[in-house]
Amino acid sequence: MKGEGEIYVVHRLLDEQICDSEGRRVGRVDDVELRGDPPRVTALLVGEGLYPRRLPRRLARLVRRISGPERWGGNALRIPWEEVDELTSTVKLRKKAEDLGLGMGDDPERWMVRRLPWN
Amino acid sequence: MRAIFKIALGIIAAIGGFLDIGDLVFTTQAGALFRYDLLWAVVLGVVGIAVYAEMSGRVAAVSGRPVFDVIRMRLGFGMGLVALVASTFVNLLTLAAELGGIAIVLELLFDAPYSMFVVTGAVALVGIVALLPFGGIERFFGYGGLLLLVVVATVYHQDPNWGDVAHGFVPTLDSSALYLYFVVGVFAAALMPYEVHFYSSGAIEEGWSEQNLKENRLNAIVGYGIGGILSVALVIASGYLFHPLGVEPNDLGTVALPMQGAFGETGLLLALGGMLFCVGGAAIDSSFAASYNLAQFLGWEWGRYQGPRRAPRFTASWLVFLLLGIAIAQSGINPVEITEYSVVFSVVALPLTYLPVLLIAGDRSFMADYANGRVATTLGWLYFGVIVVLAAAAIPLLLVTNAGGG
Repeated sequence: MKGEGEIYVVHRLLDEQICDSEGRRVGRVDDVELRGDPPRVTALLVGEGLYPRRLPRRLARLVRRISGPERWGGNALRIPWEEVDELTSTVKLRKKAEDLGLGMGDDPERWMVRRLPWN
Repeated sequence: MRAIFKIALGIIAAIGGFLDIGDLVFTTQAGALFRYDLLWAVVLGVVGIAVYAEMSGRVAAVSGRPVFDVIRMRLGFGMGLVALVASTFVNLLTLAAELGGIAIVLELLFDAPYSMFVVTGAVALVGIVALLPFGGIERFFGYGGLLLLVVVATVYHQDPNWGDVAHGFVPTLDSSALYLYFVVGVFAAALMPYEVHFYSSGAIEEGWSEQNLKENRLNAIVGYGIGGILSVALVIASGYLFHPLGVEPNDLGTVALPMQGAFGETGLLLALGGMLFCVGGAAIDSSFAASYNLAQFLGWEWGRYQGPRRAPRFTASWLVFLLLGIAIAQSGINPVEITEYSVVFSVVALPLTYLPVLLIAGDRSFMADYANGRVATTLGWLYFGVIVVLAAAAIPLLLVTNAGGG
């Protein structure tokens, strides 16, 4: 990312909107990966599979029933920090969503609304 | 000059779009039961929505973030999820109530069965969303809602004892549970959560930036301020006519009767027409709000401006919400009852809606020079206190008064 430096991870990064290089909204920072000493952010973790770990135990169990268990590459994705272009009011990525495996934006669901007249 | 004209058009739409079925039901009932005594609660609610709409519009314009865009960041994931579930539930109930309201008004206008019009009304809404761009949708319903200015004319025509009316603006605390229930109801009907969800997301739909801040302020203060006069007029018109008779309005048609009393059939038709636009617009607002919240919480692409192809999950969820709303409205429950429940439950969801707005609007790291000043901070926290108290009182009052049934 341009201008590496210190940020308040929880205040500024966690739960933030992610946009791909074309400006499409493609998910949120559902968790972050920290490594090293002192710890540095090494990756953004994205996907509904990560929701349970953000919740208290009972609620987590309920949500896991909907989201399924964590499957890396499926409902849980790792976006290396190098792919982050910029932090503005969103987390902007360097690549298009499909190049990072981010569910191709909303594309898989397009069939549902393809024929609506206000496209 | 053109800029001023554009802002004026926006304000006019805000006036016409101010009322929804919750306001119609609660103000009319409040007038019938307590004559002018609850006018102060109406004013309290109108100022409250103006404060929070201004704040959420300013946050959206400056930081590009509508309410549910920041909710996880400020409440945390768990509380954010609770807020999402609660507000979705309330928005759905509201949507169902508005769809029911459309059907009742159509039933009164065209004298055909209610159930037929729930679906017809929803299909018409989809048609309007398909045909008009975002700004056009808002203006269509906003301008139509101005037909309800007939209520103000009705009040002048009735020429009530203005001393009594003025007295109603002074807060009085009657300790009866029914009175307190209507204080909560009248206040909450003005501050329904979907209004700020929709308003702040609408700012993004229209591509607002710092340059729109003046427009935002005028919309909130002038638009909602004058819109609030409609609420006040509804209380007076109903209090003048129904209170002496001891009538307790239990259906939506009663709302229009004072206007018929004053101006005959013309008055009735204007009132019903205005109500149709108001509840129709609110059905759009509440259904969009439900989809905005879901998409923003989960990070999906969203917005009417994107079109279904670019925001498929958002659009599909909107259609699903609309279907669920139809199902609830068709369930046979009286829409006035659905309305009461949607308003009272919304009070419980209010703190979770307004706290993140308040926190982010005061946060200089997001808002820089546009963060809340002294007035907005004071009013914001003052209202937050009121909201928390009412949220705690809402459900007990609902149970004790049997939903206003006494």
